[in-house]
Amino acid sequence: MTDLAVEVEGLTKIFSIPFRKQSITAVRDLNLRIETGEVYGLLGPNGSGKSTTLKIILGLVSPTSGRTEIFGQDSSQVATRQSVGFLPENPYFYKFLTGTETLRFFGKLCGLRGWDLKDRVQELLDLVGLTEARNQRLGTYSKGMLQRIGLAQALINEPALIVLDEPTAGVDPAGSHEIRNLIVDFKKRGVTVLLSSHLLEQVQEICDRIGILAKGKLVREGPLQELIAIEDRTELVLENASDKLMKDIEKLATKAKATVIERRRSTTTLERLFLKVTSDQNRND
Amino acid sequence: MTEQISTVAKYRRFSPWRVLALATNALVELARQKVFYVLLIFALILIGSSVLMARFAFQQEFQILKDVSLGAMSLFTSILAIVATARLIPQDLEDRTLYTILAKPVPRYEYILGKLFGALLLLAISIAVMAALFAAILYLREQSVLDQTWRQMRSGPPGQVDDALSTIRASGLNSDIFVGVTVIFLKASLLAALTLFISTFATTNIFTVVVMVVVYFIAHLQPVAREYWLQQAHAGWISRGFLALVALIFPDLQAFNLVDDIVAGVAIPMAIFTKTLLLGIFYIVIYTMAAIFVFYGKEL
Repeated sequence: MTDLAVEVEGLTKIFSIPFRKQSITAVRDLNLRIETGEVYGLLGPNGSGKSTTLKIILGLVSPTSGRTEIFGQDSSQVATRQSVGFLPENPYFYKFLTGTETLRFFGKLCGLRGWDLKDRVQELLDLVGLTEARNQRLGTYSKGMLQRIGLAQALINEPALIVLDEPTAGVDPAGSHEIRNLIVDFKKRGVTVLLSSHLLEQVQEICDRIGILAKGKLVREGPLQELIAIEDRTELVLENASDKLMKDIEKLATKAKATVIERRRSTTTLERLFLKVTSDQNRND
Repeated sequence: MTEQISTVAKYRRFSPWRVLALATNALVELARQKVFYVLLIFALILIGSSVLMARFAFQQEFQILKDVSLGAMSLFTSILAIVATARLIPQDLEDRTLYTILAKPVPRYEYILGKLFGALLLLAISIAVMAALFAAILYLREQSVLDQTWRQMRSGPPGQVDDALSTIRASGLNSDIFVGVTVIFLKASLLAALTLFISTFATTNIFTVVVMVVVYFIAHLQPVAREYWLQQAHAGWISRGFLALVALIFPDLQAFNLVDDIVAGVAIPMAIFTKTLLLGIFYIVIYTMAAIFVFYGKEL
């Protein structure tokens, strides 16, 4: 078995517009290599070709040219989907089914039956925190709950590769934080994650490598830390530093012909603040 | 990687379990959208007509009851087949549920088969309930007429009584009614398969339903047009080829109209029934294959 979870080579997708002599190039000459066990973020503005790329990798759309492989097998082969889990953007599952029925349905499609299916459904409902809502119809679920049941169905076949299209779109910060924790947990368990997003801060927190798409072309790709590092700058974060110490450091820097560009107090992120105050409030209630 | 997939069965190119899962899901979807309400309307028509017809002579009463019931059964199942099937694929596409399903190890032909079998299950249940209701009412009326006649004629000569009773039985519940019900199911299944085919390239449910209503009427008229054209002396191979194509696109629904004969008490020969059965299956297979072909080329 190859060490590559996903390999995309020379991928181009051109959509022709019916009754017009026009066409739209959604993806052009894309090359992508995702190692087994890594979390890869595919970034790009709306219409940059992220979703089309994911759909081609999943065999839902056929490429105009190029090839895509999952664990060394042509991804247009249905058999490759045995080891893949997919969460589409803003998923709308069957509203008439309950949480349990939804997972049972997708489990059956993956060949699960009997006690294996029952146990797996229960395990996933626990994992995504929907045990209490398991007998409610999906029509009554909130957006965050739908996203979580979507994640659960993506995991039903214990996939080795999980493809997530905008997994936190429309979810509140707490739900978004839970999804992020789940992704971190997948990584710990050796599962490869390919996610598309335009929420850059989140991607920055969880992805090992990222690729940036613009107008269907991959314009940047590499390990996250390498891409975002500013080569000639260094940050030093201190705790309990006195004014005198700071002045000494500045003096040393000037002496060594370095420039202190900015000196400011460390701040938290708005997301962390939000999570802290809302969880404190919940605890008090 | 493979060690992780512990509880999941090995991939099979065709799995009846996956088709069954898709079919039962489609059935639950349709049932929870309350399409079975149509059965209530049927029951009301049946009960209403049996009450109204009770004042006629038994032959007329049974004939009208059969005519109304089989006619309503045929109409309702045709409507159900078109309206229920038309929404199955476009709805999945609109809700993006299709992406989630086809991202699982499900070949596209299994998805089409699952949806078709779901619609056929719905039709089978509906027709079974309607047929059971109809048979029960016809049987009760038959028993009541038999009882009444026997009481009136019991002092008469035994041969005459037997003749009268067997005349009543012949015009009551008999096996030809089940032949009629089977043909109605076959016609509805054909319409469901054709609707599913059209819905693979239609963009909305409305489009599919409108096209199917047009097809329904043309399909009832096409045998007449075909006979007319073929009787023309100048009908060459182009005309014949065109007519054959029309006959394939628009099924000959008149061939499934055995209800009139059944109501009139004409026995349906086995050969005619078998021919109709094979014709129905032929159309269903052709339309299903066409649906699979179009669906495989569809960009999602």
